[in-house]
Amino acid sequence: MREIKLKNIKKIFNGEIVLDGLNLTIPKGEFFALLGPSGSGKTTLLRLIAGFEKADAGSIFLGNQDITSLPINERRVNTVFQNYALFPHFNVFDNVAYSLKIKKVKKDIIEQKVINVLKKVHLERHIYKEIHQLSGGQQQRVALARAVINEPDVLLLDEPLAALDLKLREKMLVELIDLQEVLKTTFVYVTHDQFEALTVADRMAIMNSEGEIEQVGTPKEIYEFPQSSFVARFVGSTNLIKGVLRSEDNKSSIEIPDLGSFEAMLPKKREWACNGCSVLMSVRPEKIEISKKKLEGFSNCLEGTVDSIVYHGRSTQYHVALKNGSMIHVFEQNEEHFPQEVIDYDDNVFMYWQKENVVLLEK
Amino acid sequence: MKKNKFESEGSKEHSFAVALPAVLWQILFLYLPLFFLIYISFVKTLDYAVLKNLTLQNYKTLIDFSYFKIISRSVALAFFNSLFCLILAYPIAYFLALRVKRLKNLFIFLLVLPFWTNFLVQAYAWFFILDNNGILNKFLLKVGIISSPLHILNTPLAIYIVMLFCYLPFMVLPIYSSMTKIDKYLLEASSDLGATSWQTLGHVTLPLSLSGIRNGFFLVLIPSFGEFVIPILLGGGKVMYVGSMISYFFLETKNVFLGAAFTCFSGFILILIALIVYILFRKLGK
Repeated sequence: MREIKLKNIKKIFNGEIVLDGLNLTIPKGEFFALLGPSGSGKTTLLRLIAGFEKADAGSIFLGNQDITSLPINERRVNTVFQNYALFPHFNVFDNVAYSLKIKKVKKDIIEQKVINVLKKVHLERHIYKEIHQLSGGQQQRVALARAVINEPDVLLLDEPLAALDLKLREKMLVELIDLQEVLKTTFVYVTHDQFEALTVADRMAIMNSEGEIEQVGTPKEIYEFPQSSFVARFVGSTNLIKGVLRSEDNKSSIEIPDLGSFEAMLPKKREWACNGCSVLMSVRPEKIEISKKKLEGFSNCLEGTVDSIVYHGRSTQYHVALKNGSMIHVFEQNEEHFPQEVIDYDDNVFMYWQKENVVLLEK
Repeated sequence: MKKNKFESEGSKEHSFAVALPAVLWQILFLYLPLFFLIYISFVKTLDYAVLKNLTLQNYKTLIDFSYFKIISRSVALAFFNSLFCLILAYPIAYFLALRVKRLKNLFIFLLVLPFWTNFLVQAYAWFFILDNNGILNKFLLKVGIISSPLHILNTPLAIYIVMLFCYLPFMVLPIYSSMTKIDKYLLEASSDLGATSWQTLGHVTLPLSLSGIRNGFFLVLIPSFGEFVIPILLGGGKVMYVGSMISYFFLETKNVFLGAAFTCFSGFILILIALIVYILFRKLGK
């Protein structure tokens, strides 16, 4: 179990720069997620760690060992591929035993280890089945077992659940978390699905379309305190409103033309957060209270008319049009069968939120 | 894989109508003559008059004359030519399919180029290379490896060399095609799990390209057995092979009845050999 350090990684494909001077440290023993839109270079990053691709510049460290030019087969790093890449001419046992057979481990030890690891992924009953006899979820488990049997320092997972249906994916996510807790191996999980990343990760990195890392943090930090408008928009959904920052003494507010002034918490020591600077105000839709009545005890209030209502089952999404023509999204939990207040199209509504729930971002 | 029942039944009727001309052609020009050939191999004649129906006399004559030597010579040629082709073709296919990234199409074009040339012309071209005053000897003399020209033309060596090069594409292409179908991630997975490139070749690439090897082996083995142009042209025609023997029976001695028996017997041996090779490949695949 060792940490991974990527230093100034540069990667060019056919003259196109995919990664340019990327720095990232993945702490040992953590479940680390790399989240980004497709084409952000997150899979490239994974393939660089595995050794399938060579970096054009920069270096990769596994603990204190420089593995930048170490051959693939000598890295204590194993991969779970998106399409599983199971050997079709081997059965489950031979697939899982592959790395041990390569190392010429004794037969009885191999057998014991294979049975052990298959128990961990609940496949011990299918040990001598052919690969094509297994379901997608079972193949996924074989791929996992094959990758962890040799006790790698790092396990790389490249969108491993992309081919599974929603129910199975949720189940596998929980199993992955359990497996990581048992093995204590560093997991690096690449995905474009924010739900998966937020669920599994101890810590995650958000990559943008230019292959840059926008923010690294725990899922809660990322979601509640995004540091850029990209992160705020990409992880979850949010309302971004342009305004001018006014800060006096300990109070700060955002002035928005035509809509008024809104209280906010001042971010700590940011160059762009000066008095009179233009900033973005981010408010998550679920942090907003919506009502037709005037309510007390909120630091901010905004008036508008309901433009559309989308019923999701557990929640309802309202799109509310403001006086200046922009839209605000609001998520409301459907807590009661028959809510006291029914909000309908074209109703005049008030939206309330607390200043603690506002995140200010650089414009 | 299963298609809509409705659809497949409809297309079956359709495909039979489309296949009919080809089937008729096959029956008229392949199966009927073949049947006739088998029939006359069991007929005893004298001066083209049928003496006695259904006899084994023609086959007994074959044993008397010990044509076995010719057949075994052809079996050896077919088998070793396939083997040499395989040894030479496998690395070519491997590099084309899995290593070469640029100019891949150019290499395949160069490989297929001989197909555009008449087989006979290809064989003739080898005269200029293998002749005592040919390119090969001139080169070797100039470099100083040999002091007097090598006598290659009109020897079995010439037959083997030319057969190898003429049949090589038939071995390369099926292996290449089976290798391109191998999922690249399997090779990455293999090295990810600690295998060196040689180990990956042995444990993953080779077993997964076995179907290509088998197909290539048959594509070379079967026509090599009956090959008669190259043994006659470059072997000097002094040493008889199955192909040249059949042409000798039918074109020189005009003994079609003995020729038919010889053809049928050689065909039987070929089927037997092919069957053995097939079983061997099935065993290898397991």
